[in-house]
Formats: sequence, structure tokens, C-alpha cells
Amino acid sequence: MATDEERVRIASSFLLDSPPGEINDVFNDVRVLLDDDALLQRNVQSVFAQYNKEQLTVVQVPGQSHKSVIAQEGEVDGGRFLDPRSKQVFVFDHIRQEASDPEPYTETTETEAQRAALEEAGLKYLEEHYPAGVISVFDDGQASTVAIVDNKYNPNNFWNGRWRSIWKVTPGSSEVTGTVKVNVHYYEDGNVQLNATKDITVTVPTSQDNPTAHATSVYKQIAKAEGEFQTALNESYAQLSETTFKSLRRALPVTRNKIDWHAISTYKIGAELQTK
Amino acid sequence: MADPIDCAMDLMRRLPPQKVEENLADLVDLAPHLADDLVASIDAPLRSQRCAKTGRDYLLSDYNRDNDSYRSPWSNEFDPPLADSSLIPPPKLRKLEIAANDAVDTYRELYFEGGVSSVYMWELEDQFAAAVMIKKVNDETSKVKGAWDSIHVFEVHEKGRSAHYKLTSTIMLYMLTSGEKLGSMNLSGSLTRQAEQDFPLDDPNAHVANIGRMVEDMEIKMRNALHEIYFGKTKDISNDLRSINSLAEAKKQAAIQAELVGRLQERHR
Repeated sequence: MATDEERVRIASSFLLDSPPGEINDVFNDVRVLLDDDALLQRNVQSVFAQYNKEQLTVVQVPGQSHKSVIAQEGEVDGGRFLDPRSKQVFVFDHIRQEASDPEPYTETTETEAQRAALEEAGLKYLEEHYPAGVISVFDDGQASTVAIVDNKYNPNNFWNGRWRSIWKVTPGSSEVTGTVKVNVHYYEDGNVQLNATKDITVTVPTSQDNPTAHATSVYKQIAKAEGEFQTALNESYAQLSETTFKSLRRALPVTRNKIDWHAISTYKIGAELQTK
Repeated sequence: MADPIDCAMDLMRRLPPQKVEENLADLVDLAPHLADDLVASIDAPLRSQRCAKTGRDYLLSDYNRDNDSYRSPWSNEFDPPLADSSLIPPPKLRKLEIAANDAVDTYRELYFEGGVSSVYMWELEDQFAAAVMIKKVNDETSKVKGAWDSIHVFEVHEKGRSAHYKLTSTIMLYMLTSGEKLGSMNLSGSLTRQAEQDFPLDDPNAHVANIGRMVEDMEIKMRNALHEIYFGKTKDISNDLRSINSLAEAKKQAAIQAELVGRLQERHR
């Protein structure tokens, strides 16, 4: 019998591996299999918190018409997160994935002008390329972090998908570094998953003193890099389909006919005659 | 409370197929009392080993395993050796098993042009069962890897001059690729389908042709489904998450088109 510690490790790894939009389903399964609600109760909070921050869970900001991204960079203190766009902090319930008790956030960093410019330009970028995109731009006084998420959930048709981009913009540095991740889950009478990821570094001019102009050139490079990644992904789809898939199994034998099973033994003789 | 086996199956339908062996081992640790059911009902990619007697490769599964030994379909012997095992089919069924292994080996060569296949048969109450398995791995180039695993499990009821075949098929398809422009991409998973059919049974050897035909039809059908889901469905979803082309531009085009259609309708009034 596995120790409680080991059982918690397993339950946690299952939860953290939940496909987009399915953590509640995974939780319900894990709860039955673990069969120890007290043990689950003691650990579930921190696992959901890790999941929400890794997966950039989006949340409706109380009293606002926009959504905000839950990320490590936005955590103000235990359980409270920042929505930099409305300059509010809120309490986030990691298990229900809901925000409450908004309060004004008054602290500002020296690089707020850059952050605000990246947010404004980011919202325009989202409109161009993300049908259901959510963006938050965080700032810790050293660097800005751009977090972009686009989720599409369709459990009634057994599929869900998530696109995540994280970009780090440091004032005075010409390098903008990022990671892009795509996860798709299709599960009607099966379980098929796409996981694609790429680490990217792009270069932007550093001579820009004007935050708006700087933000514009940052998104120009982000748009180019993300577009190139997406194009490469589509090209890989075509390549896997046309070469890898075909070379694993033919659609039909070389003869282009299905097999005559009553004469199956003669195929072998035929093949042996051919090689002689 | 929900049935733990149902929960385990639902969980495996959601967790990454790329980690199925690891997940299955963890699941057994989490619910050891379900171990036998879990191992029997969750399919994992097949492993192969070489038959010491014939030098031919065969596939390892729960269907040819007795404790830590596996039975070779080519020699009918266990590795490591076992003095006796309930897994050895009675002579009549073994004869059928030999014929089926030969036939599926030919089928494999014609469709897969490589790989490994194995057929195992065992007796059930007033019927018999057969597992037809094929594995093909494609890893000649380091950048792109692919693997196909088919597992077809039959329950066969003989009824006079015909037989009823109940088939459950799972195909696991794994594909990995990476590149400078792409980063890394892993497109993997499995599909499961079922079929039932009656066939005439003129002589006992007709089972081989009947089983073979059902495997062939099922794999043709499932290959089409795999193609559609892997290269159509998941690709479309990924392109729904982000649009390569400008959405604003697309909106503008749609507006222009709507206006044109409107004007044309005006004119035809």
C-alpha cells in the first residue's frame, strides 16, 4: 500500500495534467479513486493554486467587463491576485476559480508607463489574432510580463483547447523572451492530445524612449514570432499526415485491393517467388 | 458514490496519452485493489521481445503473460520458461492460433511493410477469444518519430454453421516532431471502436479468414477516423484558438461581402 505522501503525489500529478477546462472532471475521478476526503482536503488547495498559475486560468474581474489572467506574477499575497488593468486586487478561490472582494490597488512601479503601453497595444493585438483572448500585463518594477490566453471549450462535442503565451519585456533590453504553448484534447471514443510548445527570443530596438512606440515594436515582433510558430505547426500537421502517418500504415496494399482472406496463404508464396 | 473503475476509465480518457504507462502505474498504486481490472481494461503501447527458439519478435501483453513469463506465438514456449501454464491453448485452438499468426503476419507485411504482429487465443466458456496485435515504429529520422499499435480483441461464439464475432479495437497512434521553427510538437492518443458480425463457418479454419476480414475492415475505418481527428479536428481547434490572419481584416472582408450581397438583392427586386 502506498504511503499517504505517495498517494498525494499521484493525485496532484493527475490534477496538474488536467486538459484545458477539465480539472473538475479530473478532480471528481481522483476523489473517488483516492477515497480519502480528509487527505484530499488537506492538499487540494495548493494543487489547484499551482494549476491555475501554470495554466493561466482566466477569471471574471468583479465589477468589470473584462477578464484577468491568474499568474504567479499577479499574486499579491496568499490567495489575492492583481488585475493590473482595473488596478484592483481580489480574493481568488482556486477551486471554484472565482474572484471576489475587489479592492483598489494603489502601489505603482516606476515602469508603470511601459506596462500600461504594453497593455493598450496588447489589447489591440488580441483583437487582431485571438477570437476569445484574454491578456494581463504585470510589472514588478524590473520587467513586464505579458500573459495571453485563449480557451475554447466544447465538452458537448468532446473537445477543448488552450493557447498560452508568456512574454517578458525588460526596459533597456533589446531581447524579449517568451514561451508559447498549445494544448488540444479530443476525447470522443478515444483520447487524442496535441501538445506543442516553443521558447522564443525576439529582438526589438532599444532606442525607443516613448513607451507607446516601444510597445508597438514589441507586438510587431511578438506577432511575427507567434505567426511563424503557428505556420510551422500547420506545416508539421501536413508533414506528419503525408509522410509519418502514411509510412506507418498504408491505406491499401500495393495491389490497391483489399485482401482475399480465403487465399491468404498464397500471398506469402507470391512474395517469396518475387524475392527469388 | 461513482464506480471506481468507471472513474479510472474516465480519468485515463483525460490524462495525457503521452504518459499512459506512467499514469497506469500510478493508478495501480492509488487503487491497488483494482489492479487486475485496470491492467485488463487500459491499453498501453505494446512492447516486443525476441523468441529464443525461432528468432522472431512477438508482442507482450496481458493475453500471453503468466506471472513474469510471456508465451511466444511462434514457439508456444514461455520466456522465462514455465513447466506448465493454463495459458497454453488446447491443441485444436493452438492449430487455429498458428494459422491466424501466419495470416496476420502476411496482412501486416502488406499494410505496414514492417513491424511486429502476434495473435493469441484462449478458451472461454462455450466460446473462444482472440487478440490480434500489430505494432509499427517509425524512427529512422531523429526529428520525427511515429508509432502505431493496434489491439483487436475478439469474442467468438460458434452457433452451428455460423459464428458470431464481437470485436473491440483500440489503435494507439503516437507522433513527435521538433524543429527550429516549430519548437516541439507531440500529437498522440488512441481511439476505440466496436463491431459485431456473423459469418458462415464452413470449416474451423474459416475463423482465420473471418477474423482477418474484420480486422482489415476495422483498421481501414479507424485509419480514416484517425486521419480526420488527428490532422483535421485537432488542427482546426488549434487554429480556432489563434487566427494567423488578421481577424479585423476578416471582419472587414465579411462586411464588404455582406454589403455586396445586399446591393445585388436590391437590384433584383
